Amino acid sequence: MPDSPSRSLRLGIAGPVGVGKSSLIATLCRALGDELALGVITNDIYTDEDARFLRSAGVLAPERIRAVETGACPHTAIRDDVTANLLAVEDLEQDFAPLDLVLIESGGDNLTATFSPALVDAQLFVLDVAGGGDVARKGGPGIARADLLIVNKTDLAPHVGVDVSAMVADARTARAGAPVIALSRHDPHSVAQLRAWVLALVDRHRSGDHTPIDPGPMAPHSHAHDDDHDHDAHHEHPHDADDHHDHG
Amino acid sequence: MAPPTDTLVDPATVALLLADGRLPTGGHVSSAGLEPALRGGMPAESIREWMIGRATTVSLTEAGTAVVAAHLARRSPGQNTTAAGLDAVTAAWAARTPSPVQRRLSRQLGRGYVRLATAVWAAAVGDTMNPRGPQPPRSVVLGVIAAAAGIEAASLVRLVVYEEAQAAASAALKLEPQDPLLVAGFVLDACAAAEPHVAAVAACRRPEEIPAASTPQSEGWTQAHSLLTERLFRA
Ligand SMILES: Nc1nc2c(ncn2[C@@H]2O[C@H](COP(=O)(O)OP(=O)(O)O)[C@@H](O)[C@H]2O)c(=O)[nH]1
Ligand SMILES: [Mg+2]
Repeated sequence: MPDSPSRSLRLGIAGPVGVGKSSLIATLCRALGDELALGVITNDIYTDEDARFLRSAGVLAPERIRAVETGACPHTAIRDDVTANLLAVEDLEQDFAPLDLVLIESGGDNLTATFSPALVDAQLFVLDVAGGGDVARKGGPGIARADLLIVNKTDLAPHVGVDVSAMVADARTARAGAPVIALSRHDPHSVAQLRAWVLALVDRHRSGDHTPIDPGPMAPHSHAHDDDHDHDAHHEHPHDADDHHDHG
Repeated sequence: MAPPTDTLVDPATVALLLADGRLPTGGHVSSAGLEPALRGGMPAESIREWMIGRATTVSLTEAGTAVVAAHLARRSPGQNTTAAGLDAVTAAWAARTPSPVQRRLSRQLGRGYVRLATAVWAAAVGDTMNPRGPQPPRSVVLGVIAAAAGIEAASLVRLVVYEEAQAAASAALKLEPQDPLLVAGFVLDACAAAEPHVAAVAACRRPEEIPAASTPQSEGWTQAHSLLTERLFRA
């Protein structure tokens, strides 16, 4: 529901727990804080730890970082019922008008959660090399169709035996050529790439040339794919219990 | 009472929609006070009794607020909250809701319902909400929607009681895992306990008639809970 074209760009950061979403937000705040007016919303599952981590990182004024409780439904809060997040974004935009960019971190719990376009204009999906080189190839809505895929913590690749260029190539294939950035917060060149991507997106948003796309909800039942009989290695199953909880 | 202008849905169906916990109005962030109670030390064995307690106290205040709001909205269709006298209902509700945390949450849930109302009953409630007036809580907005949808007062009372009990029940399953079928029974027990009060609450017409049934223990728990750094629910 794009309302006013002059409002901030709302950028979602999705991906499993521990891949470095909060750290990436801190990196972005450092890289963009001088030229863009920023706000941050976090969606922790149990705590407001992410919000506290970001506040203590000193990358942004603490009052511009707000935590939203998700009632143990992190999927719901970014897709089926975005109300709590949307109200938090609107409040931030109003309290610190005009904001250029609001970053929303999902309470990542697994590979299938993606943001609804009712909440964000664009989204990053974050994987890390420590999750293994195969993850990118396995796909899923976020990996395949997020606006940008991040392969994070490339500095760890030698320690976990992952070939970053092969992982990025797999990801590009899974994404039919859509952008992938191999990122490490210790690698200034990769941070510059990310920064440039976000700035270009902000420009497109302002000029009205950006159309939000929906990566789609949880992947359709993966048994439907004839080419995918590899169930043992494929625990990322859209019908596992966690995806089916009731969102009362 | 005029039916909603752009649809011909039976009011009973609208009530079902409004009572559905999956309605996208942000309700999933609330445990209707249960997480604060459990974290405050209430034993899990008391959940059923606690739900009955809530259904016969705070829920009736919320229900009475919705009933009076619906009555006033019905008399002044399309007028904004201030002109329709709804600000006085919000004030009466606030006076009966001592916990600031609870008031903030109810107002946030109210905003969620305003979004829903604006999308679904645009013609009937489109301009009702006065952005410059006090922020109405969920119960007031629910009353305005009930007026637009033709839901009668007794159904509205039952809807509010049920919705709160259901919110606590879903939260219970996340906080104190137990047999979901048992917990579904608690919802009915809570609604049954409220039943003898339904007629009286449905008869409320003026803000001062809204039941004042505060629960100091629960309010204290809600305040304390808001200071915890680990919690699943807003309250
Ligand atoms: N080596 C390395 N570690 C990182 C990088 N980014 C994040 N981390 C670490 O990964 C862990 C999880 O990061 P966090 O941002 O909390 O992940 P989140 O759960 O996705 O928000 C933390 O210990 C971070 O310090 C990186 O670029 N390189
Ligand atoms: Mg995080």
